[in-house]
Amino acid sequence: MARILIVDDDDNQRLLYRELFEEEGYEVVDASDGRQALVCIERDPPDAVILDINMPGMDGLQTLARIHDLNRRLPVILHSAYAAYQDQFVSWIADAYVTKSSDPEALTQAVRAVLAKKPAEG
Amino acid sequence: MAGPGNGTPLVMLLAGGQGERLYPLTKKRAKPAVPFGGLYRIIDFTLSNCLNSGMKRIYVLTQHKSLSLDRHIRAAWSILHPELGEFIQTVPPQLQLVSRWYAGTADAVFQNLDLLEEERPQYVLIVSGDHIYRMDYEPLLRFHTQQAADLTIACTEVACPEATRMGVVEVDGAARVLSFTEKPSAPAPLPQQPSRALVNMGVYVFNTETLVRTVIADAKQDTEHDFGRNVIPTMVRSQRRVFAFDIVSHSPATRHYWQDVGTLDSYFDAHMELLLPQPAFDLFDPSWPIRTHAGQYPPALMRNAGEREARAVNSIVSPGCIVTGGTVVRSVLSPHVSVGAGATVEESILMPGVRVGEGTHIRRAIVDENVLIPAAVKIGCNHDDDRRRFVVTPGGVVIVPEGTLMT
Repeated sequence: MARILIVDDDDNQRLLYRELFEEEGYEVVDASDGRQALVCIERDPPDAVILDINMPGMDGLQTLARIHDLNRRLPVILHSAYAAYQDQFVSWIADAYVTKSSDPEALTQAVRAVLAKKPAEG
Repeated sequence: MAGPGNGTPLVMLLAGGQGERLYPLTKKRAKPAVPFGGLYRIIDFTLSNCLNSGMKRIYVLTQHKSLSLDRHIRAAWSILHPELGEFIQTVPPQLQLVSRWYAGTADAVFQNLDLLEEERPQYVLIVSGDHIYRMDYEPLLRFHTQQAADLTIACTEVACPEATRMGVVEVDGAARVLSFTEKPSAPAPLPQQPSRALVNMGVYVFNTETLVRTVIADAKQDTEHDFGRNVIPTMVRSQRRVFAFDIVSHSPATRHYWQDVGTLDSYFDAHMELLLPQPAFDLFDPSWPIRTHAGQYPPALMRNAGEREARAVNSIVSPGCIVTGGTVVRSVLSPHVSVGAGATVEESILMPGVRVGEGTHIRRAIVDENVLIPAAVKIGCNHDDDRRRFVVTPGGVVIVPEGTLMT
C-alpha cells in the first residue's frame, strides 16, 4: 500500500485529505509545516508528498527544494489555493501542481499519475 | 526586477571547474583566472566577447579557488552600469536550493534558478571561462531565433583526429543536430567535408523555459549533471529543436578564433600561435578589443649590459619588464618580468614577476608567478634533468610552478 505524506498548516485540510486518501486505499501521514515534513521524510520516506505552499515558517517552495536535496526521486505534488506560484521556476521541481478546489479529483488523479511514473528504487 | 530588454540574453559564465589538467597552474587559482598572453586572464576573452557582442548582464558562477578570479573581475570588469540594468557579478555557490557544491555544469545552472527567476530573460547564453576564443554572439542569437530552436550549440570545425577529444556534433543539411557525442573514437564528419568534424565550443543559447525544465529534469536523474555529457544528448534523443551554429561558415576567417586551453600543451601552443607572423587571433584588432586589468607598471625597458645587447624578437613584452643584456625569442613576458645579462629565454611563457638570473637558459617552459630563477641554470635543455625537478608535459614543455625555490 502506497504511503502519502500530506503537508498543510490547515488542520481541516489535513483531515479532509486524510479521509479522502484513506478511502482511496492509501496509508496517510501528515505534517503541519515544512520542518515537520522533512523530519517525516528522513525518518520514513513516503511514496509521494502533497505539499501546500503558503505555510508559516518554511514555505512549500523552500520545503520542495529541501525535499529534492534529501531525496530527489520522491514525487512531490504542490497543492495551493493560488495558481500564480506555478510561474516560479522553483515550483517546476515538483512533479505536479494542483490548485485547491472543492473537487478533489484532480488531486487524486495527480497522485495516481506520479506513483505510476515513480522509478524503481536504486 | 526583470532587466531591460528581455530579448537580450542573460549570460551565465560557468567558471567553477577545477581545471585539473592545467595543474599546477591551477594549484592556487581557478582555471579562468590563469594568466594568458602576457596581460590577460583566460576569462577576459569570454567577457570581452560578451561586451563586444552587446551582452551586459553577466553572472559569473564561481566555485573552486575563486579568490584570484574574484579579485581580477573586480579590478578589471567593474565597468558596467547597474543603474542601467548592466552587471558582471560573480556568484559563489549559494547553497540555497540544495546543500552541495556544483556537481556539474548543468547543476551550476540548476542551483541558480533564482537568478533566472529574478531576471526572467527570454534567452540564456551559457559560456565558460575555459577557452581562448573570439566570437560575436549576436549572429548566434539571431540564428537561434530564426530556427525557433530550443537550444543552439556554437560549434567550430576541426580535423577528425583532433575531434576525438571533444564533443562532436553531427548535423543534417539544415544544421539540425542529429547526434552529440563526447570524445568519440570515430567522429562523425561534416556532410561536405569528410576529413573535418563539427565540435562543441561550450557556448549555448537556450530558451529560458527549456533551460529550466531540462536542468530540473537532469537534477532528478543519476547523471554527471553536465551539459555536454548529459543534458544535450538527452535533448537530441528526445527530438527537441537543437541546432548547431558553425562559426566557421557564419563568419569570415579573421572574425573568429577558438582554441581549447584545457591542457598544459594546448595552453602553451595557444601562446605560440599568438607569436606567429599572421596570428589567427589578432590581439591588436581595434574592432575587437580584449579588456583586462593591466595594473600600473612603467613601460617595458630593453637595455644593454656592457657589450651584451638586449634582444627580444617575435615576443610579447609586457609593461614593467626589464631585459638587461638578455635575449628573448618567441616568448611571452608578462608584466614585471626581468631577464638578466647573458640569459636566454626561448619559446617560453613567463608569468608576472618572474626573474631570470644572469646567464640562465630557459627553453620551452612555463614559469609561474614570482618564481626567481637563479643565475646560470638550464631549464628545458635536458628533459632528464628537468623531470627530476619539474613536470614535463607530453609535448615537452617544462612547468615551473609558483613557489618554486631554486639554488
